This record gives sequence, structure tokens and C-alpha cells, in this order.
Amino acid sequence: MGLLVIVGLVALTSVGAYIVGTRVLALERVSLRPALGEALECLGLAVVFLVVNLAAGLTSIFGFRALTGRFVSVYWLNDLSLVVLSVLEALVFHRWWRPSK
Amino acid sequence: MHGLRILGAAAVFHFKIAAFTPLANVLNIRMAGTAQLEASDAIVVLGRGGADRDGVLTNRSLRRLLRGVSLYREGLAPVLVLSGTRGETRSRLELARGLGVPETAILTTHEGLTTKQEAAELSQLLLPLGRRRILLVADPIDMPRSRSLVERAGFVVHPAPTAASGPSGPESRLGLVREIAIELTALGYYRLTGAL
Repeated sequence: MGLLVIVGLVALTSVGAYIVGTRVLALERVSLRPALGEALECLGLAVVFLVVNLAAGLTSIFGFRALTGRFVSVYWLNDLSLVVLSVLEALVFHRWWRPSK
Repeated sequence: MHGLRILGAAAVFHFKIAAFTPLANVLNIRMAGTAQLEASDAIVVLGRGGADRDGVLTNRSLRRLLRGVSLYREGLAPVLVLSGTRGETRSRLELARGLGVPETAILTTHEGLTTKQEAAELSQLLLPLGRRRILLVADPIDMPRSRSLVERAGFVVHPAPTAASGPSGPESRLGLVREIAIELTALGYYRLTGAL
């Protein structure tokens, strides 16, 4: 039931945003498809940042263990904030990179 | 870039599968295996996530302890063994006492920071006492690796996973999928390094 509420809410606000976009902001319907493509591009970039962050984190932790002999848990990387920050990195990088395309 | 778009679409696809289908629950149940709640020499509660500075246990650590205490109360073993980090063990010890487990029935290991270290600590503590058959309390997804490591340390293991059906909300399922991914990575790492 909770699942239906969440999906239903998002569907409803998406339809609302489409109506506001086309009728109030006079956005072109044809530009929605490229916008979706750009959003996917940005998400893909976020995945890349996440993988790089994880790889850098693991390398640092194993390197630290090997060099100092002290224990540092890899579970430090198990944090939702790393995903959020990777998305932020991707958003900024995408906005920076986009005008140059 | 086309490649990034494909990656983004794959991320959305995986997100939908992870959050809105019971895949995580199915994996959780499969990894737990079948519980073997048989009379044993000891109930071993492995550490999970430690404790906060104020001594509050993580959700999973607390669930494991409650499972262990419950098994003790059912009379499945005369001894409850608490493992994990120092802070975690201390908090669990206090809680177990508070839940009515006599102090004489509680054993604690020295600090075990990884499951491998915990298995070594357990063998040093229990095998000299002749306590070889153990009920192993761990999360369902941790059970395959934990069981293998503890068996390699010389024990006969009866798995006693905590609740195995898993969460029903999208956010909790996403969390579980993340934990499963980490656990499978750890399993692969242990196999690669010859620990399993």
C-alpha cells in the first residue's frame, strides 16, 4: 500500500509538472525527450563518480592498513552520504561540462 | 554521451528493481539458509556495526543480541557468547544481564574487528572449554560467510539467523540491497585472499 502511495504521488506530481511546463511556462513538448536524455546522462555521471569514490576509498583504507598496520573498517564507506555527494558532484560537473558540448 | 545515458538508464532500472520488487527479500531468505535450532554447547552472537559512543547498539547488533537471548531462554545452550568490538560487547553484556541472562552464563571475546578475527577469538575462547557445537546468530545475509569462517575455525555450526523475510518498504529494501552488495563483495574478497 505504501508503495502505491509513493508511486502514485510521483506520477501525480509528474503529470502536474508537465501541465505547468506546457501551459504556464510554455515549454516545448518536443524538448522533453532530450531533457530526459540529459537527466540520464547526469545519472550515469553520478554512477561514475560513485564508483570512483568507492575505489579511492577502498584503496586508501587498504593502503592505510598496509602502511600502518592499524585497522580501519571498510564499512566507513557504507554511508548514504557518499551516494548523495556523488550525485552532487555529477550535477556540478554536468552543468560545467554541458555548455562546452 | 551515449554511454553515460545507458549507464543512467541502467541505474534507474536497478533502482526500480531494488526498491519496488521483492528481489531483496528473496535474496535475504536464500542467503539465510535453513535455521537449525538444535541444542548446542554455546550460542554465539557475532558483532555487527559496534555501538555508538554513548553505548547505543546499532539496529542489527541489537537484533542479534535479542535473538541470542531468546535462544538462551529457550534453553538451547547453557552459555551465551558475545563477540564484536569492545564497546559493542560491553553494551551487549549489560543488556543481556538486564534481560535476565545470569552473568555466569555469559562469555565475551576480546575485541574482534572483522568476522575473521571474531572466528579466531571464538576458537581461543570456546574450543579449550570443549564447546564445539554452536548456535551461530548472525543476519541472514551475513550467514554464508560467517558460517564458513566459524566452521573453518573448528566449530560445528547450527545457523540461527535473525528474521529472514526482510523489509517491505522501498527505502529499507534499498538499504538491504546495498548490504547484500557489500556482503557479496566481502565474500568474494575472502575467497580471493584464501580466507574461505
